[in-house]
Amino acid sequence: MGRTDRNAADIETLYRQHGAALLLFASAISGDRGRAQDAVHQVFLKAIESGSVSQAINKKAYLFVCVRNAVLNDAKVQGRNMPLDVDSAWFSPPDRDYAGEQNLRRALGELPDHQREVIVLHVWGELTFSEIADLLGVSSNTAASRYRYALAKLRGSMLAKENSCADSRR
Amino acid sequence: MQTPDDEQFEAYLKRFHPIAPEPVPTLSVGHSSRRSPPLGIWLAAVAAILVTGAVILHIRSSRIVVSNTASDAAVAERHVPSEPLTMRSANAWLATAPSFKAAVDDLAFRSQTSPLPQGKQSAVAVLSKEKIKL
Repeated sequence: MGRTDRNAADIETLYRQHGAALLLFASAISGDRGRAQDAVHQVFLKAIESGSVSQAINKKAYLFVCVRNAVLNDAKVQGRNMPLDVDSAWFSPPDRDYAGEQNLRRALGELPDHQREVIVLHVWGELTFSEIADLLGVSSNTAASRYRYALAKLRGSMLAKENSCADSRR
Repeated sequence: MQTPDDEQFEAYLKRFHPIAPEPVPTLSVGHSSRRSPPLGIWLAAVAAILVTGAVILHIRSSRIVVSNTASDAAVAERHVPSEPLTMRSANAWLATAPSFKAAVDDLAFRSQTSPLPQGKQSAVAVLSKEKIKL
């Protein structure tokens, strides 16, 4: 197997392993599913062309950085902040809990951008606070602090919604 | 510091799996293009080359046959006897002609090219001039 073949195979594996989390992260930043998809594709296409991923020590963290940059560059080009796209699903819910999925997506959308990023990176990207800190250019304590606040807000928001739904059913 | 509630909620969140993105077209296309083509494609290519070669050979050989026929005819033209065609002269002509086809061709065209003796007319010419009265 040649070097190019090995690089393509590695990238394909990385796409299978982290593509979903990267897409979620891009969606959480950009708010638009289609734009998020484009950003993820763009990153992987560049990775194939340049072979830069193979040189990265922490490939997963590197891909998250690339996706973040791609989305933010695109947002600069577009010159506006997109509201979160509420029409397209972000998650495949457990036990077909589509209401829960919608509730989670809504609650994520209510979080400030910097907290939403940390939540997605830690829960679904499975990055450590140290890796998140490097990615966002903040300290590990700040990343952990943002996460705690975000988690509390998310839980409160989701519970409030579930309670209001339960009340309306009575 | 995470509380047990936080961990429980985190575990609940992780039950929601992010939806996988659409495949990058280049990943599949690019990967397959680097592989050697399937055997069928190789066989089709070889067959196409053989057919092309056969067609070229066929065209060339038919040209040679045509040019041979032309040269045979030219050779035969030189040996066309000037006297009227008889069985004897035809046999002699066939014996000396390079090929049977060339001999027959020359004999066929000979009647058109050879002049008629003075005072004699071609039957075809006479019949063509005659007016048929009904």
